[in-house]
Amino acid sequence: MKAFISRIPPAAVALVLSVLLFFAGGLVQPDFLNAAQAINIVRLAAFLGIIAAGQTLVIIAGGEGIDLSVGAVVTLGAILTFMVSGGNNEGLWLAVLVVIAAGAAIGLVNGLGIVYIRIPPLVMTLGMAGVVQGTILAVTRGDIPGGVPRALANFVTGRFLGVPGAIYIWAVFGLAMWFVLQRTRYGRELFAVGVNRRTAALSGVNVPGVVILTYTLSGVLAALGGLLLLGFTQRVFLTLGESYLFPSIAAVVVGGTVLAGGRGSYFGTMAGALVLTMTESLLRAMRMGEAYQLIVFGGILVVLLSVYGRQRQSN
Amino acid sequence: MTRAFLRNKTYLVPLLLLLVAIGLNYYLQPNFFQPRVLNGNLRVMLPLMVLAAGQAIVIIAGGIDLSVGAMVSLVNVTLVTLITRESGPPEMLLGAGVALLLGAAAGALNGVCVAFLRLQPIVTTYATSFLFSGVALIILPRPGGSLPRALTTFYRSAPLGIPATAFGIVVLLLLWVLLRRTRFMQNLYAIGGSAAAARASGVRVALNSFFSYVAMGVFAALAAMMLTLSTGSGNSRLGDAMTLPSIVAVVLGGTRLAGGRGGVVGAVIGVAILTIIRNLITFANVPTWYQTLFDAVIILLALAGPGIVRLIRERKA
Amino acid sequence: MANPSTPPRSPAAPLREPVVSVRGVAKRYGAVRALESADLDIRAGEVVALLGANGSGKSTLGRIITGITKPDAGNLTIDGQSAHLTSPAHARRLGITAIYQELSLVPDMSVAENVWLGHEPMRLGGIDRRAMRENTAELLANFADVFSVPVTPDTVVDDLPPSERQLVEVVKALAWRPRVLVLDEATASLDSRQVDRLFELVRNWRDQGMALAFVSHRMEEIFRVADRAAVLRNGASVGEKLISETTERELVDLMTGGGELAAMVLQERHEDTAAATAPVLLELEAFSCAGVEPLNLTVHKGELVGLGGLQGQGQRQLLLALFGAATHKGSVTLDGHAVLFRNPRQAQRAGVAYVPGDRNREGLLPIRPILENLQLPGWRDYGTPLRLRQARTDANAAVQDLAIKIDSLDEPVANLSGGNAQKVVIGKWLMREPRLLLLDDPTKGVDVNAKAEFYRLLHRLQEQGTTILFHSSDDSELLGLCQRVLVMQDGHVRAELTGDTLDKQHLVAASMGAGVAVSAP
Repeated sequence: MKAFISRIPPAAVALVLSVLLFFAGGLVQPDFLNAAQAINIVRLAAFLGIIAAGQTLVIIAGGEGIDLSVGAVVTLGAILTFMVSGGNNEGLWLAVLVVIAAGAAIGLVNGLGIVYIRIPPLVMTLGMAGVVQGTILAVTRGDIPGGVPRALANFVTGRFLGVPGAIYIWAVFGLAMWFVLQRTRYGRELFAVGVNRRTAALSGVNVPGVVILTYTLSGVLAALGGLLLLGFTQRVFLTLGESYLFPSIAAVVVGGTVLAGGRGSYFGTMAGALVLTMTESLLRAMRMGEAYQLIVFGGILVVLLSVYGRQRQSN
Repeated sequence: MTRAFLRNKTYLVPLLLLLVAIGLNYYLQPNFFQPRVLNGNLRVMLPLMVLAAGQAIVIIAGGIDLSVGAMVSLVNVTLVTLITRESGPPEMLLGAGVALLLGAAAGALNGVCVAFLRLQPIVTTYATSFLFSGVALIILPRPGGSLPRALTTFYRSAPLGIPATAFGIVVLLLLWVLLRRTRFMQNLYAIGGSAAAARASGVRVALNSFFSYVAMGVFAALAAMMLTLSTGSGNSRLGDAMTLPSIVAVVLGGTRLAGGRGGVVGAVIGVAILTIIRNLITFANVPTWYQTLFDAVIILLALAGPGIVRLIRERKA
Repeated sequence: MANPSTPPRSPAAPLREPVVSVRGVAKRYGAVRALESADLDIRAGEVVALLGANGSGKSTLGRIITGITKPDAGNLTIDGQSAHLTSPAHARRLGITAIYQELSLVPDMSVAENVWLGHEPMRLGGIDRRAMRENTAELLANFADVFSVPVTPDTVVDDLPPSERQLVEVVKALAWRPRVLVLDEATASLDSRQVDRLFELVRNWRDQGMALAFVSHRMEEIFRVADRAAVLRNGASVGEKLISETTERELVDLMTGGGELAAMVLQERHEDTAAATAPVLLELEAFSCAGVEPLNLTVHKGELVGLGGLQGQGQRQLLLALFGAATHKGSVTLDGHAVLFRNPRQAQRAGVAYVPGDRNREGLLPIRPILENLQLPGWRDYGTPLRLRQARTDANAAVQDLAIKIDSLDEPVANLSGGNAQKVVIGKWLMREPRLLLLDDPTKGVDVNAKAEFYRLLHRLQEQGTTILFHSSDDSELLGLCQRVLVMQDGHVRAELTGDTLDKQHLVAASMGAGVAVSAP
């Protein structure tokens, strides 16, 4: 049975699981089961999904790739938008540019440190996370002036045909990610780099370039995720992005992208984000004490991993 | 011959770094070596040192454990539940015993998942940290509890003029010396260096890996005991902030994240470096709002150090 | 074919009971039948060689005997008692030890630590490092005078070249005091002096009563060291011959089932004298890199120039540096233009291609589809969005051209057999139509039939005007294919062999540095 399950694409299983959980929720809590709730969950998942996009790329690139600075960069993105736009729609465009630049800069530093100074990704991105957090504190001194541009809030939370903007944004994101991974030279080379860097280099791939670009993109995507998140939460605080960090990794892994690299897809991450968000919502709807929520969440994650996350034995 | 000998002493550069840091600290804080101040520093460092020691063992074997902070919290709340202000030696012993068993059990869970089920360590231990936190929250929903005065006083004391915690560090290092001589530890180095080669040589990779996580659990329990002695109370979130610093300390101390090289001596030095850097920032009169940034930048530079040195050497060649 | 230096044991002594006996073993991996029914006896005081082409199952049989794999059927007896080996450690405890190709060394550990890993000598509850060192030194003494670099118990294995690492593997097997020793392609990385010493030791051990099994692709070695040859074909035992009573041809016929001697294509030396008068394609002046001393080299268009000599003398480094994968000094002129390749991309753009010897670690992406493997160097030519249909058409053309047996372009390349996988590695580069092809020991581990196809491919490429620089550790292969062979030692080109000097004696002599200076630089 397990062998059968592990041959189906993980993304599909995660999707089916989300649907099952949704109906399970309905059994436990009848008012859970309605379209509004479903849309709400997908909307929540959208932010995790967008934030996990960069993480997907980084993990596919292999080499123990991981980006632990995602949480801090999300917070930075939100705060920069808040401050630079000052709450005005006109300032929004400038904010977008600044956010992209900041995310790219951080990602670039990560990439350079990992490629040229050969600091392990876990350590490098962890260190950068601290630097980013420290920078946020130093610049804002705990007091953050600014506002949320109306246009942004409307874009994200406003509804079109009853579906929140966030979901459309996520859909477009998904298509863009698919395109990058499957229909560009960068995407093909990214998978190659993830499988074996030596082979890729000897096949003419610019491995350092691909890796640095990947971390840079991760920074940009996380920062943009923060910008969009601001449109949703409409307030900023210093730990805004923290709670998205490890779930972003979990979403990628549950979605079938192996941490060893060289394999995976963004659709998997999207499905993974859905499962995680669904689980969380379900637990909250069941009005379980925080303690039980934690335990069940951890337990489900372990179960999911044991179906999909198993490493190949080194031969 | 000397090259191979030095190559194994991965803590030499961190040691140098530590001496420099201590020097700077002494410069900024002249009473650094006074017993009261020294004792204060050691008290803060000891729990993290014990925790980092366990983390070093897991990392050497090629794994990593992100649930250590939650384990510490779990053991902490268990201890304050079993031991109260009025407890006598029997309860204390019971508490210690249960703590060690609990740590081992938690480590065993990680070990089963990572070593036997072959789940990925980072995400798996992240998942189990939720489990441990949840159980901790059930045991102690609100911070509280207290220990017998004698225990907390002992932790602060300085028998024969030497801080009790210093003895603790010495005991930790002695424990490491003994552990290093075992076939178990040799196997862990081999597994971390090349699991395939270890397996081909007849080393039971899964079993040894499993026990590295159990060892981590035991060390986490010990760290929790130190921490509880230090704070004298319980909190289901107490240890959570210790996880990432334990990893940073291990790496700072010269242990390779991929496994196969390094040791506990380095991890202990790494914790000392981290603590003293924090001191330096405070005593250098860095404005409060900039302290986190300085701390982070210095740590990043320290982590980048060996890599930068290598880069310069390669450019020269 | 070299003469064996001591005659193999005559079968005058009555056949002893075998120490290890295997009857009717079968093994399948998924849909693939690796072994149908294989038998083997390994006797004390005898060296039995196990032969077979790729797909014959000889590696699988070796793995079963040494406990790595469990058979699906059949039985294994040790000293007449039925045994079920659960792991290599179990096999070792019963006295069966294997020597593989550098699989079991931990790079960061010292020689002594590696040799005793899993059974370190203990004292007072801890590892006795002094005893470890002393015991290791004793074992290393067996090879003392054939080490090309100093090897001590404390030397870190990572610092050693492949040949010395292989010798450490041998020493490691000895430390288990085996009664039965299985050598599986154990000579692949060794130079000829080291092979001589190893065979000398093998004969000593045989005479002292050890039972030895020897798996090899090298016919010449088998005739040097083995007493008996057991042949497998398509997973079944097809016959045994005493070495003293058989010939190479007979064994090859057993291996291939008779028919065309595709195996020994070595005699097909391509007689092409026109190449020497063709224009110069590559000119190196004072070219040097790590592991290669300054050298000059001229290669004409369409030439097939060989790089020979003992293992690890700089041949690989030279090729990698030419491909831009390693820093180098000196001038390189390609087709009249001065070039400087800082990375493989630049080399590729100039029409240079490099085929690595270690295809699994340097040539292929095993889990990715064949299409991706074939097109990896060339995605930039397919635009954005990638014109996948065109890419597939081009890839299919290459598959046809090289006769690669595949089910579909989308299956992972790991599904292919060794010979086919190697074709993918070569195909990847041939699709770019290189003018200079750098081959780094590409036929290592490829079976006899695939080798023959490969040689024919090389001839065809030559005819099309591709210039080829070919490093091989197989002397006969080099001599059989190339018109000109540069022999390297310690990073120097010691000799350039052509015409009359293009034979084994000159090659070996030059490998050792014994001057046969024919236009040495």
